[in-house]
Amino acid sequence: MSAVLTGVGLALPGVTTPEDLLAPVPGGAEPVDPAARIGKKGLRFKDRATQLALACAAEALTDAGLLGPEGLTVPGETVAVLVASNYGNVDTVCSVVDTIAAEGATGGVSPMDTPNASSNVIASTLAIKYGLRGPNLMVCNGATSGLDAVRWATALVGARRADRALVLAVEPDNEMVRRLTGADRIVDGAAAVVVERRAAAAVRGAEPRAVVSSAVRAGSVEACLERLAGDDRTPPAAWFGPGDGQGPGSALLPSGTVHHALAGTFGEASAVLGVLQCAGTIGWYAGGGAGPVYALAGRDGDDATVGLALLAPGRS
Amino acid sequence: MSRWPITGVGAVASVGADPARIFDNLCQGRGGLHSLRGFNRDWYNADLLYEVDDRPAPGTDVAGRATALLTTAIGQALDDAGLPPDLRGVPVLIGTGLRELRSLELWWRDGQDFDAGRMHFGTALRERFGADDTTTISNACSASLYSLALGVDLLEFQGADTVVVAGVDVITESMFGLSDRLQLDPPDALRPFDRDRKGTVMGEGAAAIVLRREAEDGGHGWVRGVGVNCDAYHATAPDAGGIALAIKDAHSRAGVKPEDVELVMVHGTGTPLNDAAEATALREVYGDHLGRPVMTGIKSMTGHTSGASGVLSLIVALRAMRERRVPPITGLDHPAEETEGFRMVRGTAERADVSLAQIDAFGFGGINAVAVVEAAR
Repeated sequence: MSAVLTGVGLALPGVTTPEDLLAPVPGGAEPVDPAARIGKKGLRFKDRATQLALACAAEALTDAGLLGPEGLTVPGETVAVLVASNYGNVDTVCSVVDTIAAEGATGGVSPMDTPNASSNVIASTLAIKYGLRGPNLMVCNGATSGLDAVRWATALVGARRADRALVLAVEPDNEMVRRLTGADRIVDGAAAVVVERRAAAAVRGAEPRAVVSSAVRAGSVEACLERLAGDDRTPPAAWFGPGDGQGPGSALLPSGTVHHALAGTFGEASAVLGVLQCAGTIGWYAGGGAGPVYALAGRDGDDATVGLALLAPGRS
Repeated sequence: MSRWPITGVGAVASVGADPARIFDNLCQGRGGLHSLRGFNRDWYNADLLYEVDDRPAPGTDVAGRATALLTTAIGQALDDAGLPPDLRGVPVLIGTGLRELRSLELWWRDGQDFDAGRMHFGTALRERFGADDTTTISNACSASLYSLALGVDLLEFQGADTVVVAGVDVITESMFGLSDRLQLDPPDALRPFDRDRKGTVMGEGAAAIVLRREAEDGGHGWVRGVGVNCDAYHATAPDAGGIALAIKDAHSRAGVKPEDVELVMVHGTGTPLNDAAEATALREVYGDHLGRPVMTGIKSMTGHTSGASGVLSLIVALRAMRERRVPPITGLDHPAEETEGFRMVRGTAERADVSLAQIDAFGFGGINAVAVVEAAR
């Protein structure tokens, strides 16, 4: 693989930088206020997930050097968009059917909800906002969605369908999603990274923050670790777990391996987890960390586990 | 130049429970339009949809219908390809507009059983086929052709041996209700490119294909190339320029010129905005060769099956090339001005010896996907 991460953005309560993800996150932080971050313009009629995504995307594109005061610094056709979210439009869908049943007619539903009823509204809104004309994908793939999006971004830039991809994951917190997941808190935030073909990053002088070494999807956490470890079975220096305390017992993760658990830090992370782990990896390398890092999303009990092996930016 | 054999196909729609019956009905001009089968008919102005008739009783809706249609189509495709129902390690890409959101509605409002793990299709595909490399892509009405682009890339760049690409959608009450709110004068049918069209009508279905990196023969035909992009223009309105770029990208990846294409399966949703943008784009790309390819579409008989529509159209194109007969667009009585010079199949099926087809699928948010396929012979 020849993909690197060249930018990161976070819209989460209580954290500002990728390094913050590796330290205890302060409790009781205020929810993210998208209008305070990017202004009210363009947020009207957008659902909470799309608003959070817009606030986060600006930071990631700017951080990667793809967005400047004059707009995009590269042609829009060279930038793909991949958004991961499972619950982005759950609130719209549930409230529209409530309204129809309550009124016994459709006259009371708002036409402004029409875009929000389509699951891909987040990905297309980001494309329209920034003029990103490359492939545009909405990944709604359960617990592994965030890492799936990074994996497919790597495939898209590898196949030269784009030079780079904005990969963003978001989940909103509301009554419907809490009931559906059984969680008492949902992340209510977004995380983003820019995945770029190494050569394309070099051409524009962008500094890699991490290297994507391999990406696999397998039927269990252990099977995923086996495939990431490969034949030489060198353990990673650090790893991000899939949640529920799964993984630490594996022989492929010796006791000295640094473990970062982000799955429950902000409540139910769902699709956000995988991208959050990539952001955390960027923080790990920025803070002087070295050696391979594994990111895993999808627990035993979910339909599969996706694993990503990342390397420090100096290595290929 | 690469091309990838399609060794198995499967499909379910309002017009038939497998690809052969779907194709025959389309050629006979028999559509699946019917009064509402699962929703409360008192709540809506519109009373016609292209639903799959699989509910336990009229007016009784049940969760999990999208999943059931999808697993049926994939099962058919595997069987057709001569493969066992075992998808361990096989990449499976599922394009869908509305996922299992209909089940979410039935859970939230009507108290039916459902859980978060069934919003995407991986959970059911793991149970049914042992599949562990599944991706549910929610790319509106171009979802299954978008998925095909990713599938083809796996064969070309990542050494995959077998890939399954599918599309599925059942109608949600929220999307139908929002559409009903906007369509004050509901369409009596979906009439693509007709002067008197009144908008789109939603449909249901699932379609699946099995692709191989190599095969002894072309099976049902070959995928030559798939182009994808995004207009980045408007949330709901399409852009002719973006569509034209997607068509050119597909032709370029397939290594073909416009004059090589003999059949165009239009997206043709029957909304004035889509039809005008698609016609303008086709005119731009085909130029002097506009009158050469035979053009048809399936939505006047299947309805707009959203995420399923791209692969469903592709399966119909493969069969049309094999049987040398192209199903018509029904209800196209007065072609709109923008189709001047188009060689549209209207009213009844047409005999045509065609061996290279273009399939269009454009989605909400300006996401475009175009595939080029070649006959097996």
